[in-house]
Amino acid sequence: MDEIVVIGLSVLTSVAILLLTSLGLAVVFGLMRIVNMAHGEFLMIGAFTTTVAVRSLELPIWLAILCAPIVCGFVGALVELAFIRPLYGRRLVDTLLATFALSLILYQVAINIFGTAPPGIGTPSGWIEIGRYTVSYYSLFLPVAALVITALLYVLFKFTRYGLLARAAAHNPDMASVLGVEVRRVNLVTFALGCALAGLGGGLLSPMVAVSPGVGQTYIGQAFMTVITGGPAFLLGTLSASVLLGGISNIVSQLFTTLWGLTALLVTAIVLVRLLPNGISGSWSRQL
Amino acid sequence: MTASTWTTTLGRWTRVAVRRGFLWPTIAVVAVLLLSPLLSTSTELKWTLWLAFGILALSLTLVWGISGIFSFGQNAFFGIGGYTFAVAAFNIYPATGETLSALLIAACVAALFTALLGYVTFYGRVGDVYLAIVTLAVTLILYTVMSSTAGPEYRIGKAYLGGFNGMPSVPGIAFGTGELGYGGLFAFAVCLAGALYIFARFLLTGQYGQILAGIRENEMRMELLGYNVRFHKLGIFLVGGAIAGIGGGLFTAWGTFINPSVFSLQQAALVVIWVMVGGRGSLVGAFVGVAVVQWISDQADKIVAQQTPLILGIMLLAMVLAFPGGIVPAITRWLDRTWNSSKRKLDTIDVAPTPTPRTDTKPESENEGTPLPSGHIMAHHLGKRFGGSVALDDVTLEFGQHNIHAIVGPNGAGKSTLFGLISGQHKVTKGDVELNGLDVTRMPTHQRARHGLGIKLQVPSIFLGLSVQQNIALALNAPRKYKRTRPPATTVFAMIGLLEKKHEAASNLSHGEQQWLEIGMLIAQNPSVMLFDEPAAGMTQEERKRTVELIKKLSIHHTVIVVEHDMAFVRALGAPVVMLYRGNVFRHGSFDELSNDNDVRNIYLGRKRGA
Repeated sequence: MDEIVVIGLSVLTSVAILLLTSLGLAVVFGLMRIVNMAHGEFLMIGAFTTTVAVRSLELPIWLAILCAPIVCGFVGALVELAFIRPLYGRRLVDTLLATFALSLILYQVAINIFGTAPPGIGTPSGWIEIGRYTVSYYSLFLPVAALVITALLYVLFKFTRYGLLARAAAHNPDMASVLGVEVRRVNLVTFALGCALAGLGGGLLSPMVAVSPGVGQTYIGQAFMTVITGGPAFLLGTLSASVLLGGISNIVSQLFTTLWGLTALLVTAIVLVRLLPNGISGSWSRQL
Repeated sequence: MTASTWTTTLGRWTRVAVRRGFLWPTIAVVAVLLLSPLLSTSTELKWTLWLAFGILALSLTLVWGISGIFSFGQNAFFGIGGYTFAVAAFNIYPATGETLSALLIAACVAALFTALLGYVTFYGRVGDVYLAIVTLAVTLILYTVMSSTAGPEYRIGKAYLGGFNGMPSVPGIAFGTGELGYGGLFAFAVCLAGALYIFARFLLTGQYGQILAGIRENEMRMELLGYNVRFHKLGIFLVGGAIAGIGGGLFTAWGTFINPSVFSLQQAALVVIWVMVGGRGSLVGAFVGVAVVQWISDQADKIVAQQTPLILGIMLLAMVLAFPGGIVPAITRWLDRTWNSSKRKLDTIDVAPTPTPRTDTKPESENEGTPLPSGHIMAHHLGKRFGGSVALDDVTLEFGQHNIHAIVGPNGAGKSTLFGLISGQHKVTKGDVELNGLDVTRMPTHQRARHGLGIKLQVPSIFLGLSVQQNIALALNAPRKYKRTRPPATTVFAMIGLLEKKHEAASNLSHGEQQWLEIGMLIAQNPSVMLFDEPAAGMTQEERKRTVELIKKLSIHHTVIVVEHDMAFVRALGAPVVMLYRGNVFRHGSFDELSNDNDVRNIYLGRKRGA
C-alpha cells in the first residue's frame, strides 16, 4: 500500500516537471506558433538565476525562485525585439534557425560564466514519512505549483482583456491589427510571458536537478513533444499530454531504467502524432 | 561487337554523362587521386573528415534544399550510421577481415530508422515544423540514450556501446587485406563521396528530380495531378538517411572512434550551417560549405579556443539574418551580376533538367469529330461538417449526362466544400462519391486524380519556382490509370498560348497567365472529368470570353463542371445549372429557368424569401 502511494507521488512529480518545463513553450509555440529552440536555455537561465540568488545573494529560496521569471521575461523581451520581430512573416524555418543559434550562444555564454558543473543548491528540507519511505515536501509542492500556474494562465487567457487580445493577435494578426489591436506590443508581451514561464519552471526545478549549462537541452525535446501531442488547446492540451507522457515515462522508468522511460516518452509521443496528427486536443471544441 | 559500335556506345554514354553532369565530378575525383601523393598525412586526414561531413551535408541538401523537407535528424542518421558501423565492424572484422559490409549495414540501418521516422511523420500528415522538431527531439533523446549505455550489459555481440565515452579502437575501412592506411582511406573517401555525388545527380537530373522539385514547390498540386506525394517524400527522406548513414560509417572509420557527441545540438547546427553556407539547393555546395565552415572554425579555434558553440551560433545567426539564401550562391550571383556573363532567367536550382516533351503519342483530341467517352461523377447523400458547423448537408447530384455543368450559389452555399469532397481534399462526413463508376469515397486525392479527375482551383495552384515548361511537363508525366494518352506539349501550348514564355518562371507570369497555365496543366493531365472553381475570378472581360470558348472546346472530350459567381459567364456556358443554398441543392434547371425563379432571385439579391 505504502509502495503504491509512493509510486503515485513519484508519477505526480514527473508529470509536474514535464508540465513546468512545457508551459512556457505552450504559450510561445502552442499559441504564437513561434518555434523557439532557445526555450531550453530560458529554463537554464531561470535555474541559474535561482541558484545565484540563493548562493551569492543569500535570498530565501522562495524569493529566489520568483526572481527567475522576472529575469527571463526581461531577456525574452530583448530577444523578441532583436531576433524574433525581424523574422515575423519569413519562413518558419528562419525563426527556428535563429532561435537555435541563440540557444547555442546562450549555452556557451553560460559555460563561460558558470563552468560545466557549477555547484547547485539543496532541496528545501522537510519530508513526510509514508511507511518505510520518505517523500520530501518539495516534490509534493511541485505538482501543486504546476497546477496553480496552469489555472492562473487559464484565467489570464480566458477571462482577461489581455488574454483575448493575445489570442486574437496570435491567431490572425492582420485581422487583429485592423480591429485596433497593437499586435506588435501584444506579441512582445506574450513572448516575454512565455519566456518568464520557462524561467519560472527552471527556477522551480533548480533545487531538484543538477543545474548546468546543458540543463535546457535535457528538457527541450520533451517539452516540444508535449506541446505537439497536446495539440491546439495549448493549456489543457499540454496539461493532458504532460499527464500522459510524464505518467508513462515515469512508470517505465520505475519498472526498468530512466533510459527506457525516456524512450517510452518518445515512442508514445511519436505514435500519438501518427494516430492523432492534430494532437490530443485536436477534436476538442475548447481553445485553451 | 565491332570496335565502331563500341565507340558509338561509348560516345553516347559520354554524352549522357556530360549532359547529366557526371563528367566534372569524375574528373575531380581522378585529379584528387592523382595529386594525393603530394598531400601531407595531416592534410589527407583532415580532408577525409571533411569528405565524411560533406556526405552528411549532401544528404541534408537532398532532403531540405531539393525536396523542401527541413530535417534536424540528418546528424541522428549520421550518428546511427556511425554506431552501426562500429558495432558491425567489431563483430565482422575479426571473422572476415573486411569492413565494407559494415558500411553497407550502416547505410541499411540508418535507412530503416529514417523510414520508420518518415512513415510516422509523412503519413501522419504532420506539418513541416513538426518534422523539424520531431527529428530534433529524436536526436537529443538518442544523445541521452547513448550516453547512458556505459554498463557492460550494453553489448551487441563483441561491441560495447561504452556510454558517454563511446566506442574506441573501431576497425577502420578494410577490404580483407588489413585496414587501409591514411592514404588509402583518403582515396576511398574521395571515391565514395564522388560516387554518392554522382548518384545524387543521377536522381535529380531524371524524372525523379522533377517530381522532387514539384513537391518542394507545391505539394497540393502534385497530389491533384496524381503524384503520391507522401510516398515520394518518404523515398527521398530514406535516400537521405542512407547517405547520412554512409557518411557516419566513414566518420567512425576515420577516427576509429565514435561517441554520443554526434547526436549533440552542436552537430545538428553544424549540418545546417554547412548547407546554408554552400547554398541549400546546390549539391557541390554541400562539400564547399563543409570546407569553408570547417576552415573558418579551425582558424577561429586558434584565436579563441573551445568556444565552438558560440562561434557556430553567431555564424548561424548571421546566415539567417543576412544571407538566408546561402553565401556561395550570394557570391556567385554577385559575380554573375558583375560580369553579366550569362543571362539566366531562372534563379532556381541548377540541377533541374530541361524536360523533353514527349511527342511519340498521338492525342485523341486531334480528331475532334469523335468525342471520347465522357466522365461521370455521382454524389450520393453527401454531407460534411466542420466541427459544429454544417458545410454540406445532404447533396445528391449526378454529373456526366451533359458535357458542361454549372454550379452556382451564394457564399457559404457549399460549392467549394462539394469540390473538396469530390477531389478528396476533405474527408466525407456522410454519403459517398463515385467517379467513373468507381467508389472513391475513401480514396486519397492522388488516386482519384489517377482515375481521371482534374481540378483547377480558385487561386491558381501552380509551381511558382519552376518554368512554364516544367509546370506543363509535370502534368504531362503525371501517373494515370485511365485510358487517355498524354497530349503533345505543342497541343497544350497551342490551346493556352504562353509558348513564347515557356522558359519563364511561373512566378513571373501575370495573374491571368497563371490561371491559363493552370488550365494548361489540366489539359496536359487529360482527365475525363475537369472541375473548375471560379475560373473567371480576377480575369478581364476579354479573358473571360476566351475562357468560355476554351471550356466549350474542352467539353468535347471532357466532362466539365464549373463553379462560378459571374452570371454572365454561366449564361455564356449554356449549360444546365445546379444551385446550392445552405448546403443543399436548391434548384436544378437551365440558366433561364433559374434566372426567372423568384426564390433564386431573392436569395441572390438578399431579399427575404417569399417577400
